[in-house]
Amino acid sequence: MKLYSRLSIERKRTVWAWGFLALPILFYVVIRFYPTADAMLLSFQNWNLLGARSWAGLDNYIRLFNDPVFWKVFRNTFMYLILGTPISLVISFVIAYHLDKTRFLHGTLRALYFLPFLTTAVAMAWVWRWFYQPVPIGLFNNILSSLGFSQVRFLNSTTNALPSILAPAIWAGLGFQIIIFMAGLRAIPVSYYEAARIDGVSNWTILREITLPLLKPTIVFLVVFSSIGFLRIFDQVFNMTTNDPGGPLNSTMPLVMMIYQTAFSSYTMGYAAAQTVVLFTVLLVVSLVQLRLLRDR
Amino acid sequence: MATLTLRNLVKAYGKTEVLHSINLDIANGEFVVFVGPSGCGKSTTLRMIAGLEEVTSGEILIGDRVVNHLEPKARNIAMVFQNYAIYPHLSVRKNIGFGLRTSKMAKADKEKRIEEVAAILSMTEYLDRKPAQLSGGQRQRVAIGRAMVRDPSVFLFDEPLSNLDAQLRTQMRLEIKKLHQRVGTTIVFVTHDQVEAMTMADRIVIMKDGHIQQIGTPAEVFHKPANTFVAQFIGAPSMNMLDARWQGGALHLAGQALPAKLSLPDDTALTVGIRPDDLLVSPGPGVFSGTVSVLEPLGTQTLVYVDIGGREVIAQASGRTPPQLGAHVTLAADLDNMHLFDSTGKAIA
Repeated sequence: MKLYSRLSIERKRTVWAWGFLALPILFYVVIRFYPTADAMLLSFQNWNLLGARSWAGLDNYIRLFNDPVFWKVFRNTFMYLILGTPISLVISFVIAYHLDKTRFLHGTLRALYFLPFLTTAVAMAWVWRWFYQPVPIGLFNNILSSLGFSQVRFLNSTTNALPSILAPAIWAGLGFQIIIFMAGLRAIPVSYYEAARIDGVSNWTILREITLPLLKPTIVFLVVFSSIGFLRIFDQVFNMTTNDPGGPLNSTMPLVMMIYQTAFSSYTMGYAAAQTVVLFTVLLVVSLVQLRLLRDR
Repeated sequence: MATLTLRNLVKAYGKTEVLHSINLDIANGEFVVFVGPSGCGKSTTLRMIAGLEEVTSGEILIGDRVVNHLEPKARNIAMVFQNYAIYPHLSVRKNIGFGLRTSKMAKADKEKRIEEVAAILSMTEYLDRKPAQLSGGQRQRVAIGRAMVRDPSVFLFDEPLSNLDAQLRTQMRLEIKKLHQRVGTTIVFVTHDQVEAMTMADRIVIMKDGHIQQIGTPAEVFHKPANTFVAQFIGAPSMNMLDARWQGGALHLAGQALPAKLSLPDDTALTVGIRPDDLLVSPGPGVFSGTVSVLEPLGTQTLVYVDIGGREVIAQASGRTPPQLGAHVTLAADLDNMHLFDSTGKAIA
């Protein structure tokens, strides 16, 4: 106690700060950093979850590199990202932009758009799965056939399955993105638009030269956030392809699902860890590249 | 350049009428200031002139043209906003040039025009900077530049100086006045600050609760206020208001009877207004007397709060020889400098 009272005010503050920080730091080290480091270590080892670990060197990575399924899965994951992020951002921006100008039933509409975000992915996936069934069960095919169109094989076609799974995933995230976009739009002072109206520029110019540039921080956040989400997509795929996870013919399997199967169906933990490290690296690189590209110059 | 006319202008939000039949004629090249407390309708009037608010009834004419249903752009006006409304992601050059985007000028002419405006506002060296790198006064100048660049027929200013500190405000006030003298465009300027109104305006429009209280030159509204509101709103410190009665050829106020010549019916209740500058602490005989309760030294003069029979008035004394706190003083006032108002608050001529 005597030691403490002799410290300067600055030092005392430091002691308190570290005192408060100690618990979360401990938590992070034990729950996050240690498993991360251990997974990286494991990626150079062989382990069946129960027995002893043995060194494998770069074998897991070499195996991954030569695995045609991995490259298929890698491509799928990027398809989710490349299609999902821009489509969801454009749709949510268009909705937010118009919703922001709507006074009629504003609160109700906003709540309706936000609702899917509150729903569990499992329930949603199963409802959409029902939508996609063939006649006479599926909603979409019933509508198509009643309009005289031929049926569409949504989930059991290798070309249609991935977009069909992506659709509910995009829909589920829209609510959140709309809310964030609307907050961003609200933060732009009304006088900016009024000044532009007095200058007589077109709505298109206002959108391109005022609204979008001023929304840049919001856009950066949403691009990074939704990219991470799509790169880690799992529950939508898992629940919509339960008969043949990631199928048909691995055409919908994302990286997270491959990791899950490698780890908990095949019990080749080392190989799964190597895949995890690859996913981690991809997430890191994609986020850093996006931040750099979209950063204020 | 153009005249601006408001005819029976009314604004209502739903059933609530906020502007009641405003009539005003502004001459070509005139600098008119709308002044009043917040919520008096001055900004709404300006925004209606700009075309940012719908006109409920009445007419707005710019030149000879009724502009009620014209888009802001077609009215050929320019507006300077309170928060400047300059775009943080664009350079000063692009901000000033924003108003020319829809103009059919050649690109080189546009550049030339931007340079000209920048030169007038001494902003040439800052043209390639972003607003974040500018001071408050410079940002204000960019906003004015952006308005000037289109050479509008009317300039509208919506409390443009209220975000600036006191010193800068005084400086910008002067700059805007000089600018007006130089370009001669009609200006409508909205402020809640009566000093701004007095110093800049050719004519002042004083508003309260959606009604015009008085229209006049700064001298007129100061020396001949139309009612007690104008009398107290214009001039700082505020005019002293004393209840009085006209009886038997004398004005009875604060326990005094002042003989006067007024053509009023006997036994009339009045309000007498005396500006602090017209109520002087005097060594000789005076109209009122009382004890000093507060002193406010301002340098040249000292404001003296004097309690005269339970009523506090503000008087003036010399800054060099102010009275003591608690001292008994006499206050001299000239009857000619007193303002008389009837029981409804209207000035008695």
